[in-house]
Amino acid sequence: MKIEYKLFIVLAAFFAPVGLAYGIFTDWKEPVGPAGLFLSAGLGAMIAFYLWATARRLPERPEDNPGGEIAEHEGEYGFFSPHSWWPLPLAGAAAICFLGLAVGWWLFIIGATFGVVALVGWTFEYFKGPHAV
Amino acid sequence: MVSVGTIVWLSSELMFFAGLFAMYFTIRSVEPDLWHTSTEVLNVPFATINTIVLVVSSVWCQLGVHAAEHGKPHRGDASLLAVKNWGMREWYVLTYIFGAIFVSGQVLEYSELVHEGITLSSTAYGSVFYLTTGFHAMHVTGGLLAFLLIIGRTFTTRHYSHAQAAGAVVTSYYWHFVDVVWIALFATIYLLK
Repeated sequence: MKIEYKLFIVLAAFFAPVGLAYGIFTDWKEPVGPAGLFLSAGLGAMIAFYLWATARRLPERPEDNPGGEIAEHEGEYGFFSPHSWWPLPLAGAAAICFLGLAVGWWLFIIGATFGVVALVGWTFEYFKGPHAV
Repeated sequence: MVSVGTIVWLSSELMFFAGLFAMYFTIRSVEPDLWHTSTEVLNVPFATINTIVLVVSSVWCQLGVHAAEHGKPHRGDASLLAVKNWGMREWYVLTYIFGAIFVSGQVLEYSELVHEGITLSSTAYGSVFYLTTGFHAMHVTGGLLAFLLIIGRTFTTRHYSHAQAAGAVVTSYYWHFVDVVWIALFATIYLLK
C-alpha cells in the first residue's frame, strides 16, 4: 500500500510548507489561510497515516507485487449491500427535518420520527434474521 | 472497506471544522475588544472538567474496540462488577454515559452564558461561540446515536461477526476524531483568550 499512502503524503507535504509560507508573508495577521492550509495538510496526513498503519498490519497484497497474479486475490473482500431502499426514506425524513427548521419545530419532530424509523431500518437491515452478516 | 471510507469521510469533516476555525479567527482578528470583554465570562474550570470527561470517554471507547477486535461483544454470564470480563457492549455503554455527561455539561454552560447575555444573535462573539461549540455538540450527539445503534446491533444476532466488529471500530474512529476536534476547539476558545 506504499503508493496509496505516498499519494496522500504528497498532499500533506505540499500544504504544510505552503501554510507556513503564507503565514510568514502575511505576518500571521491573516488567520484564515494558515488555518485552512494546515488543516488541508491534516486532511492528507490523516488518510496517509491510516493507510500506512493499515499497511503495517497487513501482509503484502498481490497488487503491491509486480509479479502478482489475479488468482492470488481470492477470498472474502467484505460485505457489500446488493441494494437497499432505506436511504430513500431516510433522505425524505432529512428533507422534512430541514423544511421543519424553516416552517416550525412541529414539522421537524414529524421528520425526526420518520428519520428514526429509516435509520434503524437501514442500520439493522443486514444484521437480523437467519442470514445476518 | 468500511474503515477506509470512514477515514476519508472524517478527513472531509476536518475541512468542515477548518471552515469553523477560520471563521472564529477571522472575526476575532477584526474584533479584539469584543473578545477581551466576552471571554471574561467563560467558565474555564468547568469547561476543563468537561473536556477531561470527553477525553476519558475516548479511553473507554478504545477498551471497547479492544474487546470487539477480540470477538467479545458482551461480558456473558460474568458479574457487571467484573470489569476484566467486560465486552464491547459494556465499554460502549460507559462511553455513552461519559459522552452524555459532556453534552449535558455543554447545555448547562450554554444556559449560564445566556444568563450572562451572550446569545447566538447578541454579538459576533456569541455567534461564533455557539456555531463552533454547537456544531461540535451536534457531532457528539450524532456519535451517541451511533453508539446506541452499534450496541443495539449486538442484540439482534447470536454470532458476533466481523461486520459487527468493523461497525464498532469505525464508530470509535469517529468518536476519537470528535474528541480531538474538541481539544483543538477548547484550546482555541478557552485557552487562547
